[in-house]
Amino acid sequence: MNSLKSQGFAPVVSDLKKDGSEWTVKEKIMLGLSPKEYWAVQRRNPFNWVLWVIYAVGLPILVGRFIFGLGWVTHSSYDYPWGLFLGWGLFVMVPLSASGFMMGTTVELFGRKDFKPIERLGLLNGLLGYLFAVMFLQVDLGQPWRLIYPMFVSLGPAAVLFLVAWHVATYLSCQVAELVPAFSEWMGFPKAKKFIKSMVLGLTVAGIILSTLHQGALGALFTYAPGKVHPLWYSSPFQWFHFFVSAVFAGLSMLIVVSTLTKWFMRWRCDENYLNNLSKLTLGLAKGASLALITYLVTKIIGIAHDNNWAYLLTGWGAWYMFEIVVGVLLPLTFYTMAVRNSNASLARFAAFLAVFGIALNRLNTALITFNWQLYQEIPHWREVVIVITVYSTYIVVYRAVLARMPILYTWKEKK
Amino acid sequence: MGGRKKTLLGMAALMLLTAPLAAQSWAADGPGTVELGSLANHYSAVTFNHAMHTGVAPSCAECHHHTTGLAPTDPNCARCHEAGAKAKSVACKDCHSDKPFSAENLKKIQENPKLYHKDRLGLKGAYHRRCLGCHTEMGGPTGCQDCHTRNDKGDAFFNSGKYAPTPSASGGHGEGH
Amino acid sequence: MKKLNRRSFLKGGLAGGATIVAVGTSKQALAGTHNFGGYPDSMGVLVDLTKCVGCRTCEAACNKEQGLPTPDKPFDDLSVFEEKREGGLPRRTSEKAYTVVQKYDVEGREHPLFRKVQCNHCNEPACLTSCFVNAYKKTPEGAVIYDKTVCVGCRTCMIACPFYIPAYSYSSAINPVVKKCIMCYDTRLKFGRPPACVESCPQEVMTFGKRTDLLKLAHQRISEKPDKYVDQVYGETEVGGTAWMYMSDVPFDKIGYDNHLGTQPIISYVKEFLAMVPMVLTIWPALFTGFHLLSNRKDALKNDDNKS
Repeated sequence: MNSLKSQGFAPVVSDLKKDGSEWTVKEKIMLGLSPKEYWAVQRRNPFNWVLWVIYAVGLPILVGRFIFGLGWVTHSSYDYPWGLFLGWGLFVMVPLSASGFMMGTTVELFGRKDFKPIERLGLLNGLLGYLFAVMFLQVDLGQPWRLIYPMFVSLGPAAVLFLVAWHVATYLSCQVAELVPAFSEWMGFPKAKKFIKSMVLGLTVAGIILSTLHQGALGALFTYAPGKVHPLWYSSPFQWFHFFVSAVFAGLSMLIVVSTLTKWFMRWRCDENYLNNLSKLTLGLAKGASLALITYLVTKIIGIAHDNNWAYLLTGWGAWYMFEIVVGVLLPLTFYTMAVRNSNASLARFAAFLAVFGIALNRLNTALITFNWQLYQEIPHWREVVIVITVYSTYIVVYRAVLARMPILYTWKEKK
Repeated sequence: MGGRKKTLLGMAALMLLTAPLAAQSWAADGPGTVELGSLANHYSAVTFNHAMHTGVAPSCAECHHHTTGLAPTDPNCARCHEAGAKAKSVACKDCHSDKPFSAENLKKIQENPKLYHKDRLGLKGAYHRRCLGCHTEMGGPTGCQDCHTRNDKGDAFFNSGKYAPTPSASGGHGEGH
Repeated sequence: MKKLNRRSFLKGGLAGGATIVAVGTSKQALAGTHNFGGYPDSMGVLVDLTKCVGCRTCEAACNKEQGLPTPDKPFDDLSVFEEKREGGLPRRTSEKAYTVVQKYDVEGREHPLFRKVQCNHCNEPACLTSCFVNAYKKTPEGAVIYDKTVCVGCRTCMIACPFYIPAYSYSSAINPVVKKCIMCYDTRLKFGRPPACVESCPQEVMTFGKRTDLLKLAHQRISEKPDKYVDQVYGETEVGGTAWMYMSDVPFDKIGYDNHLGTQPIISYVKEFLAMVPMVLTIWPALFTGFHLLSNRKDALKNDDNKS
């Protein structure tokens, strides 16, 4: 698409074509290309070929999971009841999707209108991340059709997971609402946008509450397993706080990563306003992320001190822990700080990649790698890995499809 | 469901033995053999050679505690029953209940706060601990079927013999790790 | 119109949140005065590990009583004691077996020691407190039972159980549920009768009775044979106390028991988070709306064109 644009192609940015007639929905879906052109473009993209291979292998296995049960795609471990589906799909994806409430707070609550060009990307990153976390959950649940049971059929309100379920559900609707404006512009329903705008503050405040609680709750889930998670990754009083604070920089870093990817691969869809502001905004996000990182680092150290776990640092697990902290926290923190000081957006982007890696490592460490550290290490079944790749690919496909169409990376030109 | 319950009840009524007086032959100071079968369910009754065991045991008190009037061998019992205390009956089943955990039994124990023998063994436990404990020490037979052969019902209960699982049925699915 | 919308939204959110908190905290309060400690008349089982000869009769009895699937090997096949699961660990409870006997060769002990594993029926069960559909129930009789018709299959109870007891029927595609010992509640305990395994044991390894009585009994046995027994009744205080308790003549940590579980119920480790929830729900809205007003005030002062 980038090459197409350099040849003079102009993507849809308003309701009206150059000649003054209106785009039909079908034309909008085809990005303003003729069907023939559209499919030719899709075929030329090597990434799509990779996707086809993934789906050819992954879809049958995904279907098989629902026909033959979890026993067919996992090792059916009783000792490791949670595998990659939740380890990756829930515990990694949710913090990386914290960008939604972060951007909402920055722009709508703190009135930092200068972050506006990237606000919608942050919201979309949040929405899709949560949506696919729920998808992963549905793959993992033994009886996914009972997902609403904790809401309406049999309530266990004293359980942490009950909070997670309710908060993720309500927060998802919050996020959908927050993205209604983008959708309504693209579809041409100005009324919906107006309605949402009237309650945007309420939505945003609700988003903060719900995010604080469920990001923290995901950490608190592991406080049910005091002896199972390695002490360096476990802290009864601070677990929720660690998960919450790390979600702050995880969300901001993920937003930098995604915006970088759009700059590289979807430049054709970005408008001047977005591209020209991106470096400045990246540094703004970097600043926020570095504050969260330093808070996180300090509370991590307090956590170790509180439980007097220093001795564990000298063991093999300690070395692994130091690796996670150095690569996933200290280095990003240093690079972010340097980037902000020297106004070096590229360095901030590198730091963001590290921080995202670090947060993924932290969540996988807590949920899978150090879990049952006194027993043995479970290695996920290959079908489990294939399903994770397949669902995650779908996440990317949907993400890309929305970005290519709706006014996320560009501003919709409204009819006068 | 009712059928299963009945089987379970039967099983619960326990697998072993007691001493039907009818089937006794008497030696000098006790029966020659005793047929222990009141609990028989999954196993046949045990034909207990009492005469032989009187020859091996150092004292009747070894098995009968203080009830035959002899001094008990366990020093803990001797604290009260030093000189022995002859009882009306010396049969195991007359003191050791075949339903030690029945509600009535538990209630009886509860209602008597001064009762010392609160955890008196049930009959099945008494038999097995006495026999198996000594046999292990003295090198006697200790396999289940060394003393009582298992019947068809027992084979079904243990999924053994003709009820053994076929290798294909036990294929390793679902057995998590 | 705008204001009303906003306010009613916040109100709704708060009310919803508050209910959640109220129910959450009332449950905590119930568990309150520190340790729940269990129902006063709840039943329990005292297991004297030194008496077990490893005949596996209890496993067979459990299989029949609970209508479990045919085992992989006959119940009189003692080779299962040498079987190892992942990590060189002995067999554990599974969807096909609610109880298993493990064999431990202990240095200095003439005979191997056998350990029966099944649900310990905690006074304050971790599985129960972690379940978001309230599927679990601790009955006054002492059993921890569950309602499989509401189980969603999140398997948090398996994460939470400090004893690695609940299993899951992964092999079922349409109705997988948690599988664990229910102390024969439906068929026996409810009617005042001991669990099938207890009654089937030829050695009477297990004593069934009121938990409080069993504790006295256990300590009496220990004091009568101090040279024999380890002076610990496992389950008396572990994670707030369990209905099943154990006596041994070798230290418990040598035969696979976790002696580092602490005396607090598992839920006590989660309370710090649960206590924080109502604070966030009540303070956050005011705090952040306040932030918003402040930052907007600056805007309003800066440029005269009024917007909000």
